[in-house]
Amino acid sequence: MPRETGLPPGTLMMLVLRVLKTQPLHGYAIAQRIHLLSAEELRVEEGSLYPALQKLLVKGWVTAAWRASESGRQVREYRITPSGRRQLAAEVAEYRRMASAIGVLLDEA
Amino acid sequence: MAIIGEWIRRLGYLLRRRKLEDELRLEMEAHRAEMGAPPAFGNTLRLREEARDAWGWRWLDDLVQDTRFAWRMLRHSPGFALTAIVTLALGIGVNIGMFSLINGLLLRPLYPGADDVFGVHSRSTKPSGRNRAFSYPNYRDIREGTTDIFANLAASSTGFVGLDVGGGPRSTYASAVTANYFQVFAAPPAHGRAFTAEEEHPGAGIRVAIISYSLWGQRGADPDMLGRLVRINGDEFTVVGVARKGFAGTSIPGPGVWLPLGAREAFRTEDRAGRPAGAREAHELSVVGRLRPGISAETAAAALATVGRRLEQAFPSVNAGYSQVMSRPSTRLIFLPGGSGAGWALLLMLMPVIVLLVACLNLADLLLARGHVRRQELAVRSSLGGGRSRLIRQLLTEGLLLALAGGAVGLWLSTWATDALLASLGPMLPAVVTLPDVSLDWRVLLGTMAFSLVATLIFSAGPALALTRRAASADLRRHTGNEGRAPGGLRLGHALVIGQIALSLLLLASGGLFMMSVIRAATTDPGFRLDGGLIVQVDPALAGYDEARGRQAHLALLDRLRTVPGVEAVTIGSRPPFTSGGDSRKVAAVGAADAQSRSVGAVFSVVGRDYARVLRLPQLSGRDFSDAELSPGSTERVAIIDDALAEKLWPGEEALGRLIQFLDGKGLEAKQPILVVGIIPAVKHSLGNPQPYPHVYVPLGQHYASAMTLQLRVAGGSERPMLGTIARVVRDVDERLPVLSVATWRDHLNAGLDVRLQRAGAGVFSAFGGIALLLAVLGVYGVKSYVVSRRTREFGIRIALGAHPRALLWQVLREGGRITAIGIAIGLVLALGAGQFLQGILYGVNAIEPVVLVIAPLILLGASLLASYIPALRATRVDPTVALRSE
Repeated sequence: MPRETGLPPGTLMMLVLRVLKTQPLHGYAIAQRIHLLSAEELRVEEGSLYPALQKLLVKGWVTAAWRASESGRQVREYRITPSGRRQLAAEVAEYRRMASAIGVLLDEA
Repeated sequence: MAIIGEWIRRLGYLLRRRKLEDELRLEMEAHRAEMGAPPAFGNTLRLREEARDAWGWRWLDDLVQDTRFAWRMLRHSPGFALTAIVTLALGIGVNIGMFSLINGLLLRPLYPGADDVFGVHSRSTKPSGRNRAFSYPNYRDIREGTTDIFANLAASSTGFVGLDVGGGPRSTYASAVTANYFQVFAAPPAHGRAFTAEEEHPGAGIRVAIISYSLWGQRGADPDMLGRLVRINGDEFTVVGVARKGFAGTSIPGPGVWLPLGAREAFRTEDRAGRPAGAREAHELSVVGRLRPGISAETAAAALATVGRRLEQAFPSVNAGYSQVMSRPSTRLIFLPGGSGAGWALLLMLMPVIVLLVACLNLADLLLARGHVRRQELAVRSSLGGGRSRLIRQLLTEGLLLALAGGAVGLWLSTWATDALLASLGPMLPAVVTLPDVSLDWRVLLGTMAFSLVATLIFSAGPALALTRRAASADLRRHTGNEGRAPGGLRLGHALVIGQIALSLLLLASGGLFMMSVIRAATTDPGFRLDGGLIVQVDPALAGYDEARGRQAHLALLDRLRTVPGVEAVTIGSRPPFTSGGDSRKVAAVGAADAQSRSVGAVFSVVGRDYARVLRLPQLSGRDFSDAELSPGSTERVAIIDDALAEKLWPGEEALGRLIQFLDGKGLEAKQPILVVGIIPAVKHSLGNPQPYPHVYVPLGQHYASAMTLQLRVAGGSERPMLGTIARVVRDVDERLPVLSVATWRDHLNAGLDVRLQRAGAGVFSAFGGIALLLAVLGVYGVKSYVVSRRTREFGIRIALGAHPRALLWQVLREGGRITAIGIAIGLVLALGAGQFLQGILYGVNAIEPVVLVIAPLILLGASLLASYIPALRATRVDPTVALRSE
């Protein structure tokens, strides 16, 4: 069963920024992309995705604009901003540091 | 930076939220469509709300929602809302009123740009380091030497003049100023013009004047005031301007009239010691200036120091030792009446706070009682998921809404009341002055908000906590009407009522003490007969009369008044009883072993003949002054003293024929000793001092005082009709003579500032006490009504079982009486404490005044029993069948 509950708080925002880094995407596509990129391990529900997107907008790390999707629907496409890229880099570095520290600790045990 | 950007985005969201929320909905619907979920599947509302919370405006939504709900609640119970708003308006209003006064006196800048205005002072370099005023030439030299420092440097000199704008002269606080004076304060006259350089020049004697805005207002804001003639000390001056509203220069209260410096001769000239106006040695000007933009205080100090040294070198005979010229930020001078200013100020600030406290307790009570009615609503909301904090916030919002409405009404009330207060204050002051501006400004508005907020916290926090605590645990099945007796909320309600009663008693009893003081002051025995007494106060010096002409005027008046039909006797004195100002001297017995240490302070009064006769005082021994002693030139120095002084100087011995001497700064006066030729009874001198005060009277010939009071004795009861005649006669004797007042003895006594203050205090305290009483009685009524309505079933059962209605009536009354009694007991303790404080500042009042301490509680008890009587009556009329069915 794919899960999303296991995500540490704040991680979702990092993941969203990560998938937006390569190209602008709309909400559903972001969820899909995370699902695919995590080898179908992670599933993002709209209940958590949209609050996260709104927070990213508040912080100014992404911008949003409407456009027509491939299926012809009007969708809102999110685009990462320069400050979003800086934030992503910082968070990724921080995450790596934490993960390796935790990894070392767990390996020791 | 990031934070600012974030807030700008948030604000942007707030401004376009409807559109953006719509977009979010569309976006989420699109998302679902892509997922392939049916469009009707589930509701996105909650999801959207969660997403929206990211923008951080949830609290605003809640607030708007709470306010709307509160508004609906209040609209559905207009009676409650009205009671609450009136209660709060009274409580907050009195505080705003007091705050407006404090604001006008202490907080509000006296003129625009006050930070750049500096007072300039000259100080002696000697160790004593005394400050000295400036002469006009010194001032001009400093002004010209600092033109690049001060945009304007002005000089002024203040004093009192007799100003007659029609309707007789009144002593008026006046300021003689340079042409640029109004520029320094950035306050050009509201109408007309400022003075000119020509008018400023000492000795110019150009008779023009600028009157205060309030004085102009008192003359009906006459549109033709400019160019009108007014009399100042008998001379005609042309009004060339009306000062800006509330303009007072640097002092509170401020002048009522301004003259050009060149017309300063209008003031008393005695203290100039014959020096011509504008002499370099006539140091009589205060200097104040506005710095040029960008000039610092340090730069100014350096420039002034340079000028000061230059002045000392250039005019060593005058300025030696006064090289220090410095500036410091201009401060406001406040003249407070009496010596007990601090006590009065404290009282005045404390009183409104107590009223607000009573109002808040009262309201807390009301909210609590209402909360019980609303318990079901609260329980429903709580069981539907309304968190306790959300419920508390809702109740506080309702409180705030009430408090803001009350504050708004209170603001209106207080503006009206302070205007009325100041208008009534004007005529009772001893001189015409400019009172501080107490009109609305942002500080008062801010103060109103603050009072409303504080009030909200006091009156609604307790009930909100108490009510929601129960709501959280209450189950819906429970029905109103069958709860046990005296639950927590009721106990709190009783405590609140007790507090209100105690505080009201405090205010009532204090008001009672003030009233006692006024009654005692009005009925005090001054030691002489008031009936049939008239006084005429004159001051020839105000018209520029020298000693010789002044004496002539005094004697001419005496002679003329003596011949007026109906006048039995006339005398003249420099310091009649109950008149402020004047002289006191230290008197010692000549030949006593230690004359210095045994000297006695006595009121020094220059009098004419018949002084004792006019006051209806018996001549205890000796004689009155002779005609020869009334004119200067007699060699023998004589005095009449009163028995109070005689008893202190020679206890138990004969004083007649003994010699006394005055003490000056160094010791016994070098002049010839004074022979005691007569002894009369002592009179009281001021209301604040109930003991007869020693007096020494010397004859007119031995001392000259310009300000004198003619005292007339006419047939008792005829004094009032004679006022007009006397005023006319005085005017006929010398038209130019400044007459300060013509009044009956009794009016003169009652017009004294201390009597007026006490009367005002009695009025204010009684009004506050009355408001508090009303609130407390409403509180008793509210709680009793509530108790009775809660116990309808109990009463119904008891009536059904055969209880006599009167027994129920008594029971309710007894319970009401009990909380009242507890409140009164606490209140009495508070009142005794207040009495301790008040006896220090009130006339002839003790901390324990049985009359007050009996009457005030009785009023409260009666009122509160009446308040419980109505609900009690309702209890006896409970219909058992209805009461039982109500379950």
